[in-house]
Amino acid sequence: MTEVSLLSLVKSYGKSTALKGISLEVGHGEFVSLLGPSGCGKSTTLKCIAGFEDVTDGKILFDSKDISRKLPEDRDIGMVFQSYALFPHMTVERNLAFGLEMRRMARSEIAERVARAMDMVQLTPYADRYPKALSGGQQQRVALARALVIEPAILLLDEPLANLDAKLRDEMRGFIRDLQKRVGITTIYVTHDQNEAMTMSDRVVVMFDGKIAQAAPPEDVYDRPASERVARFVGNANILDLAVAGQMHGRTSLSVPGGGRLAVTGGGDTPATRLRVMARPEQIALTGPGEGHLDGRITKRYFSGGHVEYHVETECGTLNVLSPTTQNMAEGANVGLTFDTQRLWPLPDSARAAEPAA
Amino acid sequence: MKRARILMLIAPVAVLIFLFIVLPYVTVLLMSFRAPADGQPYGAGFSVEGYRQFFSQNYYALSLPQTMGLGIVTSLVCLLLGYPVALHIATAPKRWRGLLYGIVLSPLLVGIVVRSYGWTILLGNAGVINTTLRNLGLIERPLPLMYNEFGVVLALAHVFLPFMVLPLLASLQTADPAVRQAARSLGAGRFTVFRRVTLPMSMPGIQSGCILVFVLAISSYVTPALVGGMRVKTTTLLVVDALIDQFQWPFGSAMALTLAISAGIVVLIFARLTRIRWS
Repeated sequence: MTEVSLLSLVKSYGKSTALKGISLEVGHGEFVSLLGPSGCGKSTTLKCIAGFEDVTDGKILFDSKDISRKLPEDRDIGMVFQSYALFPHMTVERNLAFGLEMRRMARSEIAERVARAMDMVQLTPYADRYPKALSGGQQQRVALARALVIEPAILLLDEPLANLDAKLRDEMRGFIRDLQKRVGITTIYVTHDQNEAMTMSDRVVVMFDGKIAQAAPPEDVYDRPASERVARFVGNANILDLAVAGQMHGRTSLSVPGGGRLAVTGGGDTPATRLRVMARPEQIALTGPGEGHLDGRITKRYFSGGHVEYHVETECGTLNVLSPTTQNMAEGANVGLTFDTQRLWPLPDSARAAEPAA
Repeated sequence: MKRARILMLIAPVAVLIFLFIVLPYVTVLLMSFRAPADGQPYGAGFSVEGYRQFFSQNYYALSLPQTMGLGIVTSLVCLLLGYPVALHIATAPKRWRGLLYGIVLSPLLVGIVVRSYGWTILLGNAGVINTTLRNLGLIERPLPLMYNEFGVVLALAHVFLPFMVLPLLASLQTADPAVRQAARSLGAGRFTVFRRVTLPMSMPGIQSGCILVFVLAISSYVTPALVGGMRVKTTTLLVVDALIDQFQWPFGSAMALTLAISAGIVVLIFARLTRIRWS
């Protein structure tokens, strides 16, 4: 197992800068996702780690050894590409054997390891097939086995599920996660899909504009985002801009339009007069009018099987509410909203002095 | 309904192919079995005299392996010269590609006669190369650059190089660059990546390029005639000689057909040897 350290990586292409100082520690056997919109630098970071891109500045360490100047073939990485990048002119078996042949391993040893790897991804019956004759999911598994059979120091995955249909994607997600845990390999996974990042990773690294916005376990990124941008990128976020009524013992009391009060933990020490707090749709419950923190009227209702999503118009703007189907409300109904105050999150970048509300 | 419409769409091509390929071949086939005659192109009745005449005289029969050899060597030369070019263009930045394409295709803008004649100016005994070398005192007698296989292969390779580069380029460009990266991530150095990934993946391009150049080279007339000066006997030259100068239509047809069938066999063997099982 290997530890990966990125020390203020900078990557420039002429005048534009793709990475503006990326620093990250990935621990032994950890599964870390780089999550962000396209162009945020997540793929560039991965390419720098793999060695397909030179870093302009900064260092990449594998187990405290600087490998930033090494060629990709000397870095001992296993990589899975979005297009799978299988060798089309080789059978499944030959594909898996390639990396071992490069390591000048004995033939019998190669055969043994390849057989084990094929078994691991349940592809033994397809050993003599060419990649063209396999389905997308099977090709994906070959790519994964090919990267793992060499027992690399780290595993890099570049949006490996983007080309699969939804059902297969869910299946492969669990498959990759289980396999990674079983092998115990340090893994860096690039994706733009926040669901993928959340369900698979030990830690999610959210990136915007060539910088890391937040690096934390999925629960933290979801419940305690570092900024409004992270909050909005990771899942659905209701942002309420509220006036500060008072602060005491690390708690902040906020006044809600209609006369109610909301107490949240944190909120900063600065004497801010307004605060933006985040509430996830499932952290808001619907009650009768006047019974909650805030009143509103349902303008839209979407049934999605397990849940019902409501758009509720309030004095704090239109809020998204996700309710269990047992509680069914009609469009146009007047309702009260109760917030899960334990999980209401004052956005760290939002405390500020009085200014006209948006 | 739909079938009928598709048939209508391919009808013009079908008619064209029938009139200008199928019909002429049938005519040539029939003509090759006509009896020879004096004072007229062919006589009454049928015979195999044309084929007998071709295979019984070394002067004619040996032109066939000579022609095939010429075609194969030209293909090889084009492959060796064209592959680096195609590789370079395939990996060049997009904005340069158009220009590089243009340079590769530019020989086709000049007629084949002019290009072949150009080579005679360069390669002749009193040509540019020999004169320069003699003036520099490097040689005393002119080097035999023309009127031999060397000159013909050189000129043919120049003329047909684009037909090798284009299919190579097509197959190199369709290859996913991530595949080469995958090979490197698995521990292969640049040269190994070329030998084990890039080269075998471009096999379809190598195949079609070689077949194209081979077929064009063995059937070319102008270049061997001008640069070879009738001293390099290709079957194609003999066919034209028999048909136009000697007025022996059955003999010429028999040779033409034998050439076509031999070329077909060579192409089939080549395709068989380089069979691609993976696509």
